[in-house]
Amino acid sequence: MAIFTIDEVKKTFSNGEIEEEVLKGINLSLKEGEITALVGASGSGKSTLLTIAAGLQPASDGQVVFEGKNISAMTQEQIRKIRASKFGFIFQFAHLVPFLTVEEQLELMLDVSESTLKKDERKKEIDRVLKLVEMEHRRHAYPASLSGGEKQRVAIARAIIHKPKVLFADEPTASLDSKRSKDVMALIQRLTQTLNITTLMVTHDEDMLSYADRIIKMSDGMVS
Amino acid sequence: MNMAWKEIKKNKGRFMILGSIVFLVSFLTFIISGLANGLSQDNAALIKELPDGSFYMDANADETYNLSKIDPDTQSNLLNKQAEAAALSIQMGFLNNKNDKQQSVAFVTSTDSSLFPKVKEGEVVLDASMKDTGIKVGDVLTNNQFSGKFTVKGFVDGKKYSHAPVAFINSENYKEMYRTEEMQLVFVPGEDKAQSVAGLQAYSKKQFLHTIPSYNAEQMSLNMIVWFLVVISGMLFAIFFYMMNVQKIGLYGILKAIGVKTGTLFKMMWTQMLLITAGALSLSVALSQGFKLLSPDGMPFSLTLDTTIQLSIVFLVIGFIGATLSGIQIKKVQPLQAIQQGEV
Repeated sequence: MAIFTIDEVKKTFSNGEIEEEVLKGINLSLKEGEITALVGASGSGKSTLLTIAAGLQPASDGQVVFEGKNISAMTQEQIRKIRASKFGFIFQFAHLVPFLTVEEQLELMLDVSESTLKKDERKKEIDRVLKLVEMEHRRHAYPASLSGGEKQRVAIARAIIHKPKVLFADEPTASLDSKRSKDVMALIQRLTQTLNITTLMVTHDEDMLSYADRIIKMSDGMVS
Repeated sequence: MNMAWKEIKKNKGRFMILGSIVFLVSFLTFIISGLANGLSQDNAALIKELPDGSFYMDANADETYNLSKIDPDTQSNLLNKQAEAAALSIQMGFLNNKNDKQQSVAFVTSTDSSLFPKVKEGEVVLDASMKDTGIKVGDVLTNNQFSGKFTVKGFVDGKKYSHAPVAFINSENYKEMYRTEEMQLVFVPGEDKAQSVAGLQAYSKKQFLHTIPSYNAEQMSLNMIVWFLVVISGMLFAIFFYMMNVQKIGLYGILKAIGVKTGTLFKMMWTQMLLITAGALSLSVALSQGFKLLSPDGMPFSLTLDTTIQLSIVFLVIGFIGATLSGIQIKKVQPLQAIQQGEV
């Protein structure tokens, strides 16, 4: 069943009088619990598509439908609420908050998603997710003292703590070595299956494609 | 979660620097404000300690009380209307002690009124600061323009004029010394609105203080320094938070991407501004009150609770404005830019 539909999405960037069409009418649907990988050369439009789908920038034309609602027609505040409660994000870099400990990063996400969990339930949920990403022993550490792989695992924990419906991952392994990349991808795959999360991932790394259920190749702003 | 406090705790050094700058500027502001108020008291306590009311001066005196001569009939009419009203005159002069050492004083004489000490002919009531020069009740003092002698009858607190202690004398003695029959001013206490009196110009207490040339110049300079310091502290807040925000643009973008409200980021910045300013102000209020206790006796320093509270509120408002102006960047930051910029 499709939870997410991208319908004839176009994106044009203007630079003075020059207009560049980056996406030329993309159609795509994401099925619940599946990992979809977007691949393609640099400039093919895969990251632009991901950010439009995630509500981080508007499409020039077309619509993005999530759970039956057209998010392209929503206000910024409505989109923010969806991002906060229904979406999870993993970026190329972990982008953790430098002055929060591992456990506080997750607490922050629960706050942002306006979680209704009580204090002790929150603690249990944080414990559970930290265990899932095998970071419970580093719960009081600040990002500066974590390795690249550990940071990315915390970023994954932050992305799933509020039980999102869709996980957007933009080059989640690009800043990691091959062993850590595989560990992180295996973790995303395991969590996607366990928590029934739909994942849309952009990657350059062909080794990571084995973790995807579906691979969509993009070329020159179109699905090829 | 209180992100503002957690950031302060993690980056103590950075926030201590801002806190110490705000402390130094606010401390300096309190001290200069204390000196401004102290000098103001030293210059015009005689007038400032009077209740609110109206001063009447000769309309032809060009706002200079020294040149004012009030017609005795007009004076009587005014005094008859209000029991506490008083006609008064002020002249700078000298008193000589028994060793012929001169002391600069402001001679003040008035008609009968509870607002001024009653002094018989040949008597003088002095400001209490004259005690420091060794003068005691019963001492005999002289003046070169007065044929008789003044016997010190007593002392009163906080009566200074033009940085000199006030010497209250009887109007008959005053007339002899300054060869005049007219008084310079009439003061009517408790008037909300001054009456219109032919040949006289009315002034509120505040307006009258500003006709004293030295008072105006002194207060303008000091108040200008105080307000400059307040503006500088506002600019410091704006610059500091601007620098911090520039460093955190990436972080703000990521936080916005994951769904943090822009308002939450502003609240975080305001909370930090409030905590730092409150901490710095508490310290500078405590130290400036300590300075008040430890300052030398001769130093005119007066820092009232009202002034302290007013200045503290101004500092908080200025800090809020400075921080908010610098926070416009937070509103502008796009999540996408931050994601594309790399690690924060």
